[in-house]
Amino acid sequence: MQISKKIVVLGHFGVGKTSLIRRFVEDSFSDNYKVSIGVHITKKTIEFSVDESVTLILWDLEGTDDISHIRESYLLGSHGIIFVFDVARPTTFQNLGKDLITLKEKTNDVPVKIVGNKSDLVDAKELDQVLSEKNISYDYITSAKTGHKVNQLFEELAKMLAINA
Amino acid sequence: MGNKALMNENEKIQILKDILFAEDSVYIEKIAHRLENLESTLNDKQKFTHKVDPIIHDQLEEFKTSIPTTLGPTITAALKTEIKKNKDEVVEALFPILGKMIKKYIAHEIKLLSEKINKQLSFKNKIKTWFNSSSTKKEIIDELAASKIEQVLLIEKDSGILKASYSVTETIDEDMISGMLTAIKSFVEDAFGRKDQNLELIDYELYHIHLQSFNRFYIAIVLSGNYTTQAKDKVQDLIFDFFENLTKKEDYHTLNTERINQQLAQNFGHADL
Repeated sequence: MQISKKIVVLGHFGVGKTSLIRRFVEDSFSDNYKVSIGVHITKKTIEFSVDESVTLILWDLEGTDDISHIRESYLLGSHGIIFVFDVARPTTFQNLGKDLITLKEKTNDVPVKIVGNKSDLVDAKELDQVLSEKNISYDYITSAKTGHKVNQLFEELAKMLAINA
Repeated sequence: MGNKALMNENEKIQILKDILFAEDSVYIEKIAHRLENLESTLNDKQKFTHKVDPIIHDQLEEFKTSIPTTLGPTITAALKTEIKKNKDEVVEALFPILGKMIKKYIAHEIKLLSEKINKQLSFKNKIKTWFNSSSTKKEIIDELAASKIEQVLLIEKDSGILKASYSVTETIDEDMISGMLTAIKSFVEDAFGRKDQNLELIDYELYHIHLQSFNRFYIAIVLSGNYTTQAKDKVQDLIFDFFENLTKKEDYHTLNTERINQQLAQNFGHADL
């Protein structure tokens, strides 16, 4: 079975959403393009077996400091959401709870993966302490720069969507 | 001798029976006769039809006159409920039909308007226009620049996921085109703040993208050449015909991509615009 799923990647400005996608799709790290209409679309097919694959159509939304300002039409019909924050910048995750409630209101029951990116910039132990102090729960801590956990994130999401298809 | 006496006895009883049950036996005989008639009527199709047909006819006539008052409200209520329940499917089915009707109406009105304008043009102007035009040149140019369908994409409206496609030439990734077209469409529609209006045409140099929205899906047609009103009209007809056929088929609900791809090729592949 071959299926296509729409994944929306969003978060605050400069948290590394595009780099994360680029690392996964092209296995490269660079951030030198500008979005014009607030979204950039790429895709990657993950093959589980000869006749079973999931094509992820990745909607990379322009960063915003206020999640409630996200263009709702871009979220329509999405099958999964990746919410990215920058582990080195607390302003990008200090309102995570509120941001997730806003997102839930806009997308209903679409599964959301919470990802802390730029793990290469911080000490793992210190990060754990900061996140637990702020009561932040997450699904993955990644680094687009080193590639740490990037593939696992997208592959897990793809598997989950394939099972639910 | 004893036997003779017994027969006499039986005869006597019979005589007594005849006397006592004379009336009953006539009655029984009549019933038996009626039953026989009834049996023959039931077993004979022609006779039975002859008897029953007028009754059925009368009942049907009565049913016809009473149906609006007796069953009418129930049927209307049931229809209303079904339409409410399957609103999307009803809209999907009606969209191409209504689209065609509106198109025909507009074409008719434009024709009337054009005829009116032509009548009002002075004879002098007509002559002047006739002398100035170079019809042969125009025909050649028109022929060279005729519209041609390059690509057809059937896209899910909300997610922007490509469901089926037909392409004359190899292009960049169709999944990504579908996603970007959906994003551009959403962006433009949001920008004007009119949710009830749709982006219908994107022009870039020699190419045009005709977009036709339906309830769950929209169709994007990439065309090369001079996209005239006449060509647009034909493209719209092709889209409506395709969608009308699609919604009637099982493929529409199961979305058998391969079969829809074939249907797209069949509908748009050799279209003469």
